[in-house]
Amino acid sequence: MKIRFAGAVIMGLMLAVSSAAHADRLDDIKKAGVLRVATFDSNPPFGFVDPKNNQIVGLDVDYARAVADKLGVKLEIQPTNPANRIAFLKSGKVDLVFANFTITDERKKEVDFSTPYFASGTQFIAKKGVLKTPQQLNSLRVGADKGTTNEQQVRAQFPGATIVAYDDTPFAFAALRTGNVQAITQDGPKLVALLANVPDKANYEISPFTISNDYEGVGVPKGETRLLNVVDDTLKGLEANGTAGKIYDQWFGPSSRAPLPRLFKIGDPQKS
Amino acid sequence: MNGWLEPKYVGWLAHGFEMTLLLSACVIVSATLLGVALAMARNARNGFVTRIAALYVLVFRNSPLLVQLLFWYFGAATLLPQSWMEWLNTPHTLSLSTFTLAWPPFEFVAGWIGLTCYATTFVGEEFRAGMRGVKDGQYLAAAALGLAPFGTFRYVILPQAIRIATPPLAGQYMNIVKNSSLTMAIGLAELSYTSRQVDTETFKTFQAFGAATVLYIATIAAIEVGLILWKRRSAHAWQRGNA
Amino acid sequence: MSAIDWLPTLRYLLLGTFPNGPLGGAALTLVMSIVSTLLSALIGLAGGVALSMTRGAAHLVLTAVVGFFRAIPVLMLIFWTFFLMPMLLHIDVPGLATVVCALALIGGAYLSHSVQAGIAAVRAGQEQAALSLGLTRWQALRYVLLPQAVRIMTPSFVNQWVSLIKDTSLAYIVGVPEFTFLANQVNNRLMVYPVQIFLFVGLVYLLLCSVLQFFATRLLGGAQRRNKPDAQPHITRFSHVQSADS
Repeated sequence: MKIRFAGAVIMGLMLAVSSAAHADRLDDIKKAGVLRVATFDSNPPFGFVDPKNNQIVGLDVDYARAVADKLGVKLEIQPTNPANRIAFLKSGKVDLVFANFTITDERKKEVDFSTPYFASGTQFIAKKGVLKTPQQLNSLRVGADKGTTNEQQVRAQFPGATIVAYDDTPFAFAALRTGNVQAITQDGPKLVALLANVPDKANYEISPFTISNDYEGVGVPKGETRLLNVVDDTLKGLEANGTAGKIYDQWFGPSSRAPLPRLFKIGDPQKS
Repeated sequence: MNGWLEPKYVGWLAHGFEMTLLLSACVIVSATLLGVALAMARNARNGFVTRIAALYVLVFRNSPLLVQLLFWYFGAATLLPQSWMEWLNTPHTLSLSTFTLAWPPFEFVAGWIGLTCYATTFVGEEFRAGMRGVKDGQYLAAAALGLAPFGTFRYVILPQAIRIATPPLAGQYMNIVKNSSLTMAIGLAELSYTSRQVDTETFKTFQAFGAATVLYIATIAAIEVGLILWKRRSAHAWQRGNA
Repeated sequence: MSAIDWLPTLRYLLLGTFPNGPLGGAALTLVMSIVSTLLSALIGLAGGVALSMTRGAAHLVLTAVVGFFRAIPVLMLIFWTFFLMPMLLHIDVPGLATVVCALALIGGAYLSHSVQAGIAAVRAGQEQAALSLGLTRWQALRYVLLPQAVRIMTPSFVNQWVSLIKDTSLAYIVGVPEFTFLANQVNNRLMVYPVQIFLFVGLVYLLLCSVLQFFATRLLGGAQRRNKPDAQPHITRFSHVQSADS
């Protein structure tokens, strides 16, 4: 009895408060002085934990910091894995998602995307000599990350493959190492970086084909156009004054652990 | 709310539910058998055996199930030799006369082992409580009839212990069904995993999780109903003098 | 990893990025379990009292609600509170609060059941005696029944606390940086030490739970032993079978 009454009172109060509190997100960020961003914590070099100071650093983090600096607020990072990204954004726990977030039409119905800032294709890692042609995938167990486009693409294009989805890429790689799956799938650049950091990289190889062309953008809550415009302006400005190139070189440049030539600049036309 | 889920996704949820039921059933069987063994070990005459059993209970009861599952799947797998891992991961089938048995994927095996080890501790404790609940007089009466210790245990103590332990045991079986949801962390495609998949693809959070919740509650309720029926039946048996 | 390397990692696992960031790791696990335990104790007391004192339709509804929270897997409830509560209520609820909420609700449901059982155990004679002394039903509950019921149920509370410490590990699934989450992060970074890392994690939880259980049993064990009736005399031939209160 007591619980039901108290519960009803609390619900009533919350509903009253909630209808009054729905202001623009950009204003909320400026008022709070904090920009909350979801980034990866186990996916070098997009977002990972620097062992020296246990802070999260990476390509996505640098871009996020640029947006926070433009708004004049502090940056607060929420570590996430691919499965939780959208949930964090939709439930309002973060303001932006900077986590190698691939742009798809279905996702566009739920969130808004900024102009793309990265391009990649879905590729595979397998033990040396195992995976040579895409058709082989139909008979293999493939590890993927929950909530990624890679998983959906493999399922759509290779219905014979058995897909096992894990919470994040390092788990999938651990499964590959122990033989639970024969190949894992992710965006090419992530796989390159993953392999560069692995102690026994000589046993693995990235298969020489991709099965898609994707673009990654920043996830913005649906309908927050002012925030979206700020993010777009920041990204384009970074490209114009060369900072975007510098950030890329720091993580993917010739002197980094996983060099990859830069094929896509912010603002380039997208091939569909 | 934007409508019900498409049939494809309902199919995913159905497969996930099947997997949950299958895993729970397997774990219930193995945990019950091992639980009886554990309870006997804890009441054994040999001090060494009781201490080992007590240590087992301490270790597996006081660490989280999630950590245990991650250990079995990722940790233990690195300890096994390469050839074992290959055998465990290739599909094998065994053809019996009426149907074929297929070797389950490694996630299932790891989930089964992890859940069994965890559940055995609780089931064992329930059996132990059941055995304690049997009055000392029963032991004397059995001895007076000339039964050896093993016979006493099998014909007099064990049936009564099981009867005493059954209601809390049903509670533990319900816990097994609920704990099966944790195997989603090691990639087993059971109900929570598939409801999350459906959610990430269709964004119909309420429908996906709602369906999964209803299925879980239905399963738990079924076990509860089973318990009530068992109680009624055994009460009748007592009255008819068949106990 | 050299000895110097694993010390900062150990500190990270135990404290998170504190003080350069929010509290995390084992410290956060401890804080979460303490807060959830206190909240679930409150909910449990209120629920148990409500279950004992109501009749008819209200009682049925309450039983159904308690039954629901005992039947739902903890993981599912965490999903509900984490994903849907903020969407339904339009306010920003931090991830930590949603997990604490879910754990408190489930713990509260189990404890309501225990409190109701405890009250029922002492009720029969005590309630009538209290009523015949002129106390109202609520006074009888507050001064006579509850103190005795709580004393009977303290083992339940302790078990619930131990359970909660283990259930905080589920917060890993929704990205709360507690101990299991950080251990996974470290494992993802190092990649080749899963056995050592997960054994260490298991050991820390084992230590936490065992120490807690030991101290709580010591503190309450004295009171329990004083309240129990005399045990039956041991029968020597079967003395290896332990009697009920060992």
